[in-house]
Amino acid sequence: MNGAAGAWPVDYQKAANADWPIAPSDPRQEDPEYRKVQEERLERVWATPKGWRYWSDVNNTTIGVWYTAASFGFMLFAGVLGLMIRAQLAVPDNDFLSATFYNQVYTLHGTVMMFLFAVPIFEAVAIILLPQMLGARDLPFPRLSAFGFWCFIIGGVFVAGSIFFDSAPTGGWFMYPPLTTQERFTPGYGPDVWLLGLSFIEVASIAAAVELIVGTLKCRPPGMRINLMPLYAWYVLVVATMILFAFPPLIAGDILFELERLFGWPFFDPERGGDPVLWQHLFWIFGHPEVYIVFLPAIALIAMIVPTFARRPILGYSWIVLAAVGTGFLSFGLWAHHMYTTGLPAMSLGFFSAASEAVAIPTGVQIFVFLATLLTGRVTYQVPMLFVLGSLGVFVFGGITGVMVAIAPFDWQAHDSYFVVAHLHYVLVGGMVFPLVAGVYYFWPVVGQKRLSDKLGRIAFWLMFVGFNLAFAPMHWSGLMGMPRRVWTYPAGLGLEWPNLISSGGGFVFAAGFLVVVFDVLRPKGHVPVAERNTWNAGTLEWLAETEDKNWGVRSIPIVTTRYPLWEQPRFMEDVDKGRFYLPDAEENLRETLVTSVLDAKPIQCLRVPGPSWMPFWAAVFLGAVFILAVFHLWMATIVAMGLALVAIIVWLWRGTSFVPEKKEKDVGRGLSLPLYMSGPQSVSWWAMFITMTGDATAFLSLVFGYYFFFTIHQDFPPPGMENAPGQLWPMLSLALFASAWGLAVAANRLNRAGRVPLARLAMGGGGVLSLLAAAALLWAPYATGLDPVVHVYPAIVWTLAIWTAVHAAVGTIMLFYCLARSLAGKLTPEYDIDICNVALYWHFMGGTALVTIGTISLFPLVA
Amino acid sequence: MRSVGAGEGRRAHRCEGAFARGVPILAFLAFAGCVRGPQSTFAGAGTEASSVEGLFWWMLWGGVAIWIVVLGVGVYASRPRPAAHDEIVGKRMILWGGVVFPTVTLAILLGFGLALMPPFRGPAEGQAIAVSGERFWWRVAYDVEPGQTGVARGLPPGGIESANEIVLPLGVRTEILLGSPDVIHSFWVPAIAGKVDAIPGRVNRIVLEPTKTGVFNGVCAEFCGDAHAQMAFRVVVVTPEEYAAEVARQASPAVLTGTRGEELFLANGCGACHSVRGTEAQGRVGPDLTHVGSRRTIAAGILDNTPENIAQFVRATGHVKQGVEMPAYPMLDDDELTAIADWLGALQ
Amino acid sequence: MHLLPSGKTRDNLWTLITPPTVWAWHFLLSYITAAYACAPNDAIFEAIPGPRLLVAVLTVVALAIIAWCGVRAWREWQSEYVAPPFNEASPAHRERFLEFSTLLLAGLSFVGVVFVAMPALFVVDCR
Repeated sequence: MNGAAGAWPVDYQKAANADWPIAPSDPRQEDPEYRKVQEERLERVWATPKGWRYWSDVNNTTIGVWYTAASFGFMLFAGVLGLMIRAQLAVPDNDFLSATFYNQVYTLHGTVMMFLFAVPIFEAVAIILLPQMLGARDLPFPRLSAFGFWCFIIGGVFVAGSIFFDSAPTGGWFMYPPLTTQERFTPGYGPDVWLLGLSFIEVASIAAAVELIVGTLKCRPPGMRINLMPLYAWYVLVVATMILFAFPPLIAGDILFELERLFGWPFFDPERGGDPVLWQHLFWIFGHPEVYIVFLPAIALIAMIVPTFARRPILGYSWIVLAAVGTGFLSFGLWAHHMYTTGLPAMSLGFFSAASEAVAIPTGVQIFVFLATLLTGRVTYQVPMLFVLGSLGVFVFGGITGVMVAIAPFDWQAHDSYFVVAHLHYVLVGGMVFPLVAGVYYFWPVVGQKRLSDKLGRIAFWLMFVGFNLAFAPMHWSGLMGMPRRVWTYPAGLGLEWPNLISSGGGFVFAAGFLVVVFDVLRPKGHVPVAERNTWNAGTLEWLAETEDKNWGVRSIPIVTTRYPLWEQPRFMEDVDKGRFYLPDAEENLRETLVTSVLDAKPIQCLRVPGPSWMPFWAAVFLGAVFILAVFHLWMATIVAMGLALVAIIVWLWRGTSFVPEKKEKDVGRGLSLPLYMSGPQSVSWWAMFITMTGDATAFLSLVFGYYFFFTIHQDFPPPGMENAPGQLWPMLSLALFASAWGLAVAANRLNRAGRVPLARLAMGGGGVLSLLAAAALLWAPYATGLDPVVHVYPAIVWTLAIWTAVHAAVGTIMLFYCLARSLAGKLTPEYDIDICNVALYWHFMGGTALVTIGTISLFPLVA
Repeated sequence: MRSVGAGEGRRAHRCEGAFARGVPILAFLAFAGCVRGPQSTFAGAGTEASSVEGLFWWMLWGGVAIWIVVLGVGVYASRPRPAAHDEIVGKRMILWGGVVFPTVTLAILLGFGLALMPPFRGPAEGQAIAVSGERFWWRVAYDVEPGQTGVARGLPPGGIESANEIVLPLGVRTEILLGSPDVIHSFWVPAIAGKVDAIPGRVNRIVLEPTKTGVFNGVCAEFCGDAHAQMAFRVVVVTPEEYAAEVARQASPAVLTGTRGEELFLANGCGACHSVRGTEAQGRVGPDLTHVGSRRTIAAGILDNTPENIAQFVRATGHVKQGVEMPAYPMLDDDELTAIADWLGALQ
Repeated sequence: MHLLPSGKTRDNLWTLITPPTVWAWHFLLSYITAAYACAPNDAIFEAIPGPRLLVAVLTVVALAIIAWCGVRAWREWQSEYVAPPFNEASPAHRERFLEFSTLLLAGLSFVGVVFVAMPALFVVDCR
């Protein structure tokens, strides 16, 4: 395995079964002087900015480290909140915290752990590791990563910081209305802080998801066919896709929620036709997949660690793919198992019960794949393995209680009791925190060049393992003894004293263990020797990382022909280091990486990726200001911030995307010449647009689901007196205008490509104008028919769909005008047409949105 | 746990005091003794709770066995060994341990769970009891028409009103209709059955079939605001004959003693929120107090019903129960409070 | 789906996720059927044979499609048999890997559909 077999130099043409020419490497690469010049150039191109400009960096290594550090910071903060909870509950009738403050504490504990730690840490780690594992220099959209990070940190500090002003949300991380929607139950800004702060972070998550999906599918090293992808990349692909479908329903829910809080639109108010249960559906359609969004990336770390310490390739690669993809799907059929007690019909509960049981199958498969790999390997035992085993012990128990609570009749007892608190912590700590710490010990040398301490690792493990079980095992008991969740105190005499006291003690032991990890990471390591390269003797590309950290990622982008190239490709590291593969140089002083095809990773483009910029930062600041100012109802300032955010984004796009290159093609090495510019389905930005719009469409469909949900719960929908609103005349006119705008957007793309530039420009301008007219007609319809969104949920949901569509039409107009401006400025030509290609794609989604909206609000009442 | 729970549980029903003694062995016994306490799912005081408990023990021991095997394999597999096992061993393990065994086990368990649901939710007997979860107490109305569940509606009006204490007939499947005028609450009597939410704009139902007489604790299980932790109630299970008598008694107006307490109660405006049938106090905002003296607890199941506790609660409601909606009456002096408390305590 | 001259499928990520996608549609339609039949949850003891039959039909259709996907993947895998782990850098191994993984996903989806159909068997009304 090590020092792999096979002849060298490798005939990569043959080894990769490549359908593109692979010449022998350039003999000049053997000359150290020649390489030195290249290396200096690469170093200069990929250098991290110095001084205050450091914060304008966008490189994945820098952003990833910021992101990880920030997530861990939030985790420690939420951990302290958790300890406050345990201090309060240590003894019965305690008054260490007041009820109100306790509610702030437990709400933020859950919110911060889930939204500011569990999900972002996946994105953070993936941003660091994924490009390394794929031998890419960077992710395809580095500035988008930076933008995501800044959104995350601004929103996160806003949400978490609210507790220092005694105005944190108190409604629980699930924010059930009407407790949280109505001022009389929850006065103050708490729910707005939660909703707007987190909506903003959700934007960041979706940005990261787009980045990671495109990164996995299009930026793999040449030759790394889909069957050779590291398992981590499979998991990233699945999880990022899940984010794309899971987060938008929550965004839709947030929109409805804020419309109710800010303007009194009664989506969740039963007095005016609303229903609080709709929020629960939207929240848990997000909330349950989210558990797997948290869990799978951590399991992905185990899937990388296990083969290294078993010293063999994973046994059952396809089974892991099955498990990851299968879990990704099944996890969307579980949401109502958080709603077993809401009185849904037993048959409906049964469907969710069934899916909840079924999802245990792929989960079990993954665990047995790891066990089988260990069993058939020759294991070396190191600290990361200790945490992997601890994870197994804790997670499997959480899985078993999960199978129990998936059975509805048992859950009617366990639901919202401490049994569920125990279950969810077993699953999340066992399935996520332990693997993550294993990952910290395992991957630290990639980032920090040194190994962490073995001794401290063992101490930390045992403190965490024992402390965790002491803290959470008794909660199963206290739950079944009748202790509900989210109580700030409990009475003596019910047998709850000892389990709670033990839980509290255990909580502090667990925290001490985690602090040992933090200390180990942060302590000065001057005397610790630099770890040798590939210190655990692993087989995958991230271990190409050099002992002296280099921002360029890999010295040259390798051709990969095996699943574990460092084990299985002869003298692989030397070939990479001597620049014998692709892009060993940056002749034009530009940052470059390779784009490859989805299934076979055939190189198709040399992608120029952007360098440091302040624009992502400013875009995030202004967008953050929009959300934060809206919390405090500062409407004028909000509108100004909105304008600034728009300007920032347009400046960013104008100056930083779809450059017309100085030449068509570039020699990337080994006799391969690749285009520098591609548009349409071949380009990464087309994929990014497609993926983003898929998420956008999911949010839209969640709103449409709201319309039909209200239809099913009402005998009369539309309610009496509103049967003829919004009518057919104006909606149909709007539909005709939308269809024309759609047609013009598509025509603009075709005409431009055919070289008929003036006509294309006319179509862009005309399409933009028609789109605005269409939006106006659509908004006029409910207005003219007198629909008042405050009086009943029917007009409220009609207005919401109309506004959603109109806002998208406005964006569609901006896009078309942007293309027109680009065309006039010579940045968009028949040959270099990414902008209009992507805008045409947007317009396909826009057309669909208009069709569904108008069909629903205007035509459905005719047949209902 | 099971043997201890079953053995010791019958001996001690409640366990106050043992904790205070602080002797670990005694405390442990008390801990075990609480297994069948009034708020425990192991109390076995209802058909649903008992059959779910049976299911739980099966799942628990089965789960523990699986856990031990998986962890055992894990520990064994990750020990350094001179020679690796053959791949076929690993492949068989994935197939049988990861696929076949879970699929079969889960299918059986799922079938079992599905079969339990319809009988639990089956039809009930007699009149229903309407229970409204309100911040932060429980409005109870006996003798309402059963079966009026659904979305976009409210609890049926009428019935014989009481609060925070529900009397149930032994061995009868009684339907509880659940609703709420404010936020979502959840109705849970662990000793008898699982929980169901009380959701504004909806009427849900749960059927309770008690199998033991006695007093059991109920709690709110859905977070509903600051006093969520202190939104409890009592369930009193009596024979069907006693139940009929109790409902009749609840229907009767208050037996008034015409004391200073009554005057103070009315003069201080308590009647704006509370009803004492037979007086001018006809408020509908807070709990009906017509027979408050006969209840076992006050302030929604959190204090024993003694005149001292009533006085203390009225003086400083928010101190006793943070977040409570009832205002405090610190302006009343001790005499006045005692008089009101004595009068209320006498409303049998 | 892209057919090769040999009449076989050129597998890709879409063919890979077809079986679980069928599971998802089956789940969604079954849920909508029950939710629509039972809304707004009054008349809870009235049997709903129609919707249960519809779930049964959906189940048969879903199982048939999944089985077809599985059989197709199995046949194509067997006809140019390569044993797992399909770890060579060749179109053949990529194809066999996708076929085998599709087969596994078809198996899981099949079990998933059977599970999801069970409630309609056990529960006869809207209680």
